[in-house]
Parts: sequence; C-alpha cells; structure tokens
Amino acid sequence: MAKAKTAREARLERDRNARRKKKIVMIVQYVLAVTVTVIILFPLYWMISSSFKSQEEILLPIPTLWPKEFHPENYISVFRRGNFAKYYYNTIVMTVGILVSQIVTGIFGAYGFSKGAFKGQNACFIFVLGALMIPSQVTFIPIYIMCANWGLSDTFLGLILPSLVSPYYIFMLRQTFKAIDDSYVDAAKVDGLGRVGIITKILAPMCRSTLFTVTLVTFTNGWNSYFWPKIIAKNEKRRVLTIGLAMLKNTFAGQGTMNNHEIMAGAVVAILPVVILFFIFQKYMLTGYSKAAMK
Amino acid sequence: MEKKPLIKPRTMSAVKDFVCVVPALIFLVVFTYYPICKLVQISFTDWNLINETWKYVGLKNWIWLFNGSGTKYLLNSLKVTAIYTVGELSITLIGGMALALIFNRFNRAFSIMRAVVFVPKYVAMSSAAVVFLWILDKEHGIVNYLFSLVGLPAVDWIGSRGTAMISVLLLTGWRAVGYGMMIYLSAMISISSDYYEAAALDGASAAQRFFKITLPMLSPTTLFLFVTTFLSSMKVFQSVDILTGGGPYRSTEVFVYKIYSYAMVDFRMDRASVMAIAFFILLLVVTASTFKVSNKNVHYDS
Amino acid sequence: MKKTLAILLTGAMAVSLLGGCSGGGSTGGGKTTTAAATTAAATTAAATTAAATTAAAASSDTTAAATEAPAASSQYAVTEPITIQWWHALEDQYSQTVADVVDEFNKSQDLITVEAVYIGNYSAVNEALVAAHAAGTGLPAITVANGPNLATYAEGGLPENLEPYIADSGYDVDDFAKGMIDACTYQGTRFALPFLISTQTVYYNKDLAKELNVTVPEKFEDMDAFLEATTEFNADGTTKRYGAIIPGWDNNYFETLFQNQGLKLVNDDQISTDLGSEKGIEIVKKIKEWCEKGYIYWASGTNASSIMRQHFIDKEAFSVFHTTSLYDTYVDRCDFEVGMAWLPGGDTKNQEIGGSLLIIPSKNDQATKNAAWQFLMFLCGKDVNMKWADETGYLPTRNSVLKTDEGVKFLERKPEFENIFKNLDIIYPKIQHPGWSQMTSIWKSYMSEIMIEDVDIESKIEDMVEEINEVLEDS
Repeated sequence: MAKAKTAREARLERDRNARRKKKIVMIVQYVLAVTVTVIILFPLYWMISSSFKSQEEILLPIPTLWPKEFHPENYISVFRRGNFAKYYYNTIVMTVGILVSQIVTGIFGAYGFSKGAFKGQNACFIFVLGALMIPSQVTFIPIYIMCANWGLSDTFLGLILPSLVSPYYIFMLRQTFKAIDDSYVDAAKVDGLGRVGIITKILAPMCRSTLFTVTLVTFTNGWNSYFWPKIIAKNEKRRVLTIGLAMLKNTFAGQGTMNNHEIMAGAVVAILPVVILFFIFQKYMLTGYSKAAMK
Repeated sequence: MEKKPLIKPRTMSAVKDFVCVVPALIFLVVFTYYPICKLVQISFTDWNLINETWKYVGLKNWIWLFNGSGTKYLLNSLKVTAIYTVGELSITLIGGMALALIFNRFNRAFSIMRAVVFVPKYVAMSSAAVVFLWILDKEHGIVNYLFSLVGLPAVDWIGSRGTAMISVLLLTGWRAVGYGMMIYLSAMISISSDYYEAAALDGASAAQRFFKITLPMLSPTTLFLFVTTFLSSMKVFQSVDILTGGGPYRSTEVFVYKIYSYAMVDFRMDRASVMAIAFFILLLVVTASTFKVSNKNVHYDS
Repeated sequence: MKKTLAILLTGAMAVSLLGGCSGGGSTGGGKTTTAAATTAAATTAAATTAAATTAAAASSDTTAAATEAPAASSQYAVTEPITIQWWHALEDQYSQTVADVVDEFNKSQDLITVEAVYIGNYSAVNEALVAAHAAGTGLPAITVANGPNLATYAEGGLPENLEPYIADSGYDVDDFAKGMIDACTYQGTRFALPFLISTQTVYYNKDLAKELNVTVPEKFEDMDAFLEATTEFNADGTTKRYGAIIPGWDNNYFETLFQNQGLKLVNDDQISTDLGSEKGIEIVKKIKEWCEKGYIYWASGTNASSIMRQHFIDKEAFSVFHTTSLYDTYVDRCDFEVGMAWLPGGDTKNQEIGGSLLIIPSKNDQATKNAAWQFLMFLCGKDVNMKWADETGYLPTRNSVLKTDEGVKFLERKPEFENIFKNLDIIYPKIQHPGWSQMTSIWKSYMSEIMIEDVDIESKIEDMVEEINEVLEDS
C-alpha cells in the first residue's frame, strides 16, 4: 500500500519536475527571444526616433531614447533640399519597368521551357541557367560602355535595360509550371485557347502564390538596387532613392556638421514602401525565400 | 479533302513555343554572354576611359595583375573578401541556427517576433548602412555611448583597421541573420516528430537530440545556405561602398569594390577588366567545388 | 545533355535565391569565349575607328573655325533659342546663390536658357563627366571641373580649346589673377577659366588665441611650440582640445606642408615621386609625433569632414586646416570669432589654387558651345564673381578687384582675407599630371594608415612610393 503510494508520488514528482523544467525552458526561450528581437529592432527604432530629433538633440552627449520634441520638418527638408520627390519618382518608374518586363519575359520564357516543345529546348535552357552564373558585378564594364554609347546614361531605359530579363524569374516559374500536369494545358488547347490564353487563364492562376512571391522578391530587389543605378545614373535627373540617400551626406555637407537627423528621415522615407508591403504580404514574404530553399 | 498546310501544325507550334523564349535568349546574348567576351578583349588593351584611342598591349595587364605591381592588390582583395565571407557565413549559419532554436515556438507573440527579426532583410541596404554609420559614429554614436557607460573607451568603428570589417559584418549580419533563421526554422518544422519521440524514450538529452537528430537532418539546408551565402558574400559591394569606401587603408577593399573603383573612379578599364576576369574565374572555381561537395555528401529528395 | 542539365539545375537552385545575379560554373560559357572575343574585337575596332574619325573631323572643324574666327565672327554667335545644362558641385547651402545667378543670366537675354544641375562633389562630377565624354552623349554644355583634373581632361581631348572664343569675343582674360589663369592652362593652351577659386587656410579660434596669447606659426618647425600651447588634455591623458585637425581625406590640405620644405610630389621626370626621400620621411614622422602626443587629430574616413567641423564648432579643436571657401559657413556656425591664417611654411610659403574652373566639353555641337561660352563669360564675370566672394568664402578672381579700391572695400567687409590678398603671387596652380588622382588616393590611404595605426613608417613609405611610381609611370 505504502509502496504503491510512493510510486504514485514519484510519478507525480517526476511530472512536476518535467513541468518545471519545461517552464524554465520556456522562460529562457522567451527571455532570449525578446532580447534578440529588441537588439534587431533597435537600429530601426533608432532610425525612426533620430529622424524626429533636432540637430542639437542628436549631438547631446547623453543620447535621448525618444525625441524631446518632434521635428517633422526633417522630412520636409529631405524632400525640399534633398530632392527626394524626384528620387521617388525615378525609383518607382525604374522598379515598375523592371517588374513588368521581367514578369512578361519571365512567364513566356517559363512557358516555353516547361510546356513548350521545340528542338534544342534543353540546350536553350542550359543557356539560361548558365547566365545565372555570370554575375553583373563581373559584366558591368562592357554593359556600361554599351549603354553609354547608346546614349542611355541618366535615362530610365538605361536603368531598366540590363534587368529586362531575369534568368532567376524564368527558372523559378519554369519549375512551378513543370509541376502542373500537362493535361490541363492539353485540355485548354482542345478548347481552342492560344498560348496567351493558357498562360493567363490556366497557368498563372494555378501558380498564383509562387508568381506572387517571386514578383515580390523582384520588386524588392528592384527597389533596393544600388550597384547598376550608381554606375549608369550619375546625374541628379535620374538618381534613385538608394543612391540619393547614400549621397545625402554630401548634399547637406555644406551645413557643415552632423545632420544624421535628416539622413535618418531620408532612410525612413526610402524603406517605407517595402516595409509596408512586407507587413501586408507578410505571409508571402516570410515564406518567399524559404519556399525556394525547399525546392 | 483538306489542303495540306504550308507548315506542319506541329512545326508551327514548335516555332510559336520557341518564340516565347526568344526575347530572353536574345537578351542574355547581349547582356550576359557578349559582355564576358568583351571583357576578355578589353583586358588585352590599355583602355583608359578618358582617352579617345586605345591599343592592344598583349599580356601587359595580365602580367600586371598576376606577376607585377597589381598582384599586391589582387592578394589584398582576396584576403579581405575571404575574411568577409567567413564572417558572413558564420553569422548566417551559426547565428541563424541559434535563432532558429530560440524562436522555435509557435504562438502569436513568437510569430510577431519572428517577423521583426526577419524584416531587416527587406530594409534597403543603403538605408541600413546610413543607420549603422550613425549608430557606430565615433563621437555621437549610441554604441560608443553604451561603451562609455561601462567604462570602455570610444572605438572608431568605421575608421580603424581592426574594426572596419567588423562594422561591415555587423551591418550585413543584421540583415542576414533573420534570413538564416527562417530557412532553418522552416526546415526544422519538416523534421518528423517521430525521431524526437523515439529519442525521448531512449532518454536522450536535449543536447544529444540536437546533435544526433536536428543537425544531421538539417544538413541539406545547411549546405544550401552555405553555398548561397558563400557566393553572395563574395560579391559584397554596397555595404562596403557606403560604410567604408574600401577603407581604411584597403582593409575592406573587397573584390567587387576594387573592380568598381578601377573602372568607375580611375577609369582604368584595362585593369578593371583583368581584375573582373580573375574574379569570375574565382567564382567558377568556388561554385564548381561546392557542387562537387554537395553531389557527394547531400541528397535532396525532391 | 540530361546530366549537364541536372547538374546545372542543382546549381541554379543553389544560386537562384540571390536575386538573379550569381556566380557559378557553366561549361558552355568558357568555350564560346575565344571565338566571340575575336568577333567582338573586330566590331569594336571598327566602331572606335569611326568614333575617332568623327572626333578628328570635329576637331579640325574647330581649328578651321579658329583660323577663320576674326573674319567670320558669327561663327560663335548664338542665333537661335537654346537650352543648355550647367553641371556644378555646389551643395545645398549655395543653392540660393546658384538659382539667383542662373535666373539673372536667363533674364539678361532671350536666346539662352540655362538649367543648373547639381551632380555631387568634385569626384562625382569627374566620374559623370568622363563617362559622358567617353560615350559622347549626355554631356553638359558647360561644367565645373576641379583644377588637378584639367591635365587628364586635356590629354583626353575633353575640354574645348577656349583661345578662339576668347579672341573672337575679346574677353579680357588678362584681368584674372595670374596664378588663377595659369591653373586654366595646360601646355600653353587655355582650356578653362577660373570660376570659384579658393585656397588652403588655417581656421583658428581667435578668442582663444587672445586668451592663450598664441598665433598660428609661419614655419613648420615652430609648430611644436604652437601645438603644445593650444592643446588641452583631460585628466586621463586624452585630448580635450586638439591643437589642430588636419583633413586626411583630402591631400589638398597637407600637400603644401611637404612642398614648402622643398619636396617634389612629382619629380621633373614625371614618373616618380620624392616622397620617399629623407626629408619626406622626416616630415611624416614629425606629424606622426604630433598625432601620438594627442596634439593633432588626423581626420580621415567616411564622416571625417563633419567630425572635423563639429570639433571646431564645439571648441574641441583650436584650429583646422581647410578651404577658404567655407569661411562664411564657419563664421555662421561658430559662436566665437573665427580667424584665418596662412598655412605653416618652410623655405617657401606657397599655397595652391583650389576650387573649380569652368570648361566646355568639346564633343558638344557648335551651337551649344557658343551658348555655353556666353554663359561662361557671365559666370566668370566680375559681378557674379563678387556675388560669390561676398556670400561665400571664394576669392575674387580679378586684378581689377584685387588690386584696386574695390579690393580695399572687400577687405573692409572681410578683413580676414587680407593675408590672402597680400600673398596672391604665391598661390600657385596645382600639379598637373594625368596620374595625379590615382597617386593621391594611394598617398592619402598610406598617410592615414601611418597617422592612425601603429606601423613601421619607413617600410610603409617605401611601399607607398613604389605604388605611386607605378601609377605615375603607367598614366
């Protein structure tokens, strides 16, 4: 009797221990997670809070966590003196241009490589994959010379042209289209649908989520692009946000001193669209990269 | 009886399919393959962008780079790029794995925190870079202020040799670590819980479970992250350009930055080209060897 | 084929996440290279020849024009309405002055409309300009250029020879101060005219100077005493107030320290430097000593310029080496009296001409060049020049100001410029060498390394000289 009781007690004891241990693990996990989150969030927080401070305040020997008084005029200054409206316009046109052309060429290319049938299909596809292995950081010199000779410096076409086609986009979509059973396409063909019809009515709707994810990634890459715009658009006329922001230091340099409050305002303005997109389409954007990784 | 069409429908269809891919092919010829060839040509000339004319100079630039005064820069860029690559790999792989373990809990609070950790990936590098310039500022930066609170001396993060690379890595690491976490986490979820239950029955400790089950099961993911991070970190440019400009004294002068500055600052197309080709060859070698390793050791089950 | 495809697929998977630009191994790429290179070579060669022919034709046009100029002066007249672009490097604080000046010109006549475009700092202008010149398109009608770049430009045929324009319009170039007009001349030809001219100076805290009873020394060897007197230390031995801050980010501000002690930055043979000589090492060691003692702050790196100015404004530096052009900015920002002193010299006490010249890119068409010349004359004209001189720290460029009553009046408004007016004859043009900018980037990098890090000075200088000689020889 006593023995049985002890066994039960021991089991209870063990359960209690296990529960306690689990609880400790949970607490530790929470503490670590919150710490990491705070650290990672800090630069963004600091960017936003500094962007509302006055110059006197950012130069205080003891930094203030939150602006003592708000100075939204930093943002006005970025647009008025920093010409950010122009950069915004340029960035939007460039990004949309890249996006549209990559989607069109990407979808048609992917169709040709997955559902199409022609001689040399594989060879052509290897040709596309090979391009994936040649980075623009290597080829930019001749591309720059070509574009410059065609008079494309400081033009939208110059900004967009080298990104008209993305082998990455074609590749990703091709993999997705391939996974769709040919019978859908054949049935559509019987119904008299042409290629454009098959793509817009059958394939695209079926691969909506991949399409969307890849497009979001393309958008972000376009919006955040830096290397090529820096090379081709040296003139204020077609300067994009990323470059304008990096140059803000010089533009304001005449004011002489530390002007990080205004630069931070510029930084906030520059990332706003993408961060908003991120929070709207979080689901896609979080899985976007990992999805591709799992392929 | 129907008249036989001029072109067989099958051929017609093939032609139409081919037309779908033609724009992409033409583009790649002009903007990817032709430039590579052109680059080789330029590397045999003395082309300075400012001059109207150029001439062929044979192997001069090649000798300059591999067995002349350029070798020094080549080796320096190799070294700097290697250090950076090792740094970013460690942050993405080890940091990513650690965060994946920490954030491996599924409720609302954690999903919000995960999103926060991941969001830097979407913050444009130029915005991130100016923020880090400000945070790491020697005189008024918050990091040095925190240092002063605990009695540490102010560090010239961006301006001195020992710390400039650390600053660049902090910046890129901040953007990359959440990405590493996401990739690991989504792979961890797919590990069947059977393994863990069996291990628990055997009385395996948490550490044992991690090293005996989790880590091996994640090897394809690790390899994937390794290869992608390796290749992308070799091409680092933007963070260096904004943060340090290759300085101080070439201590962050990575490969792409050096190529860029030869081409667009000094206008030495000849030297930039030969440097770019060397870089391309290096990338080829690295990729080829990672493929070899991956074919041997990891099996993707698709 | 299948197998290659499979391997490539794996590869593509691996690299695809990098956003479309990745490195890797394709067997195809390598093979095609040689064959295509040959074709490519042929095409470019043809293209270049064509370009060269056009250029030659263009320049012979100019020569023809030059000889005919006196007879047919309409050659340079602006006859039709035209809009031209002016590239400049004047930051935000000058934007009002820029707008005023452009506006005034546009209203002064009916045919020419000028658009002012801010490109960035001088190196940004340099990059954009050379790129546009190489492409032959997208050139501005008129642009500012930094003095030391003129040699490179002239060698590459970038700027228009201004002699025929000067002859045709009878523009009085003799009124420009000699050193300034010399800075616009390369191998005897005038390719530019002086626009915004500045020179190096030492800004110092005048209130503090009175209090400490010190003056900025005239000689390099008197620097020790000066720095000792002006530097203030904290209790823990760190510097509270630097005696001087030297900008390590721009050689402009320390090169005269070397030259005035008889050192040649570029030797007469044009392919080597004298920086490795005993004297050169001695100077570097002296400055290093001051840095180590905490007297001098060597400002280099990404934010160096703002850090330096902030130190001076916050009274954490007694003096800074900088450009006269920022005089008004310093005066505005400091709540103490700002003094301007001549840089410490040696056997000589020469200084150099900084700031910007104006050039007209030669690849523009004649109508654009003619309009540009009209605007250039206006910008370099006395009225505009004096507007700049009054509102900023740029110098008056004309003898008719500098050497007359007007100059006296100017000095009444800005007494600190007296030193500069007195010494105009020893402000010389900077070194003109096509390899100059490559050389200075090496020099700056090593100087900062020596000043900031703990390194062996001799061996570093040896490395530096080797690198510099190489670029000088190969340019």
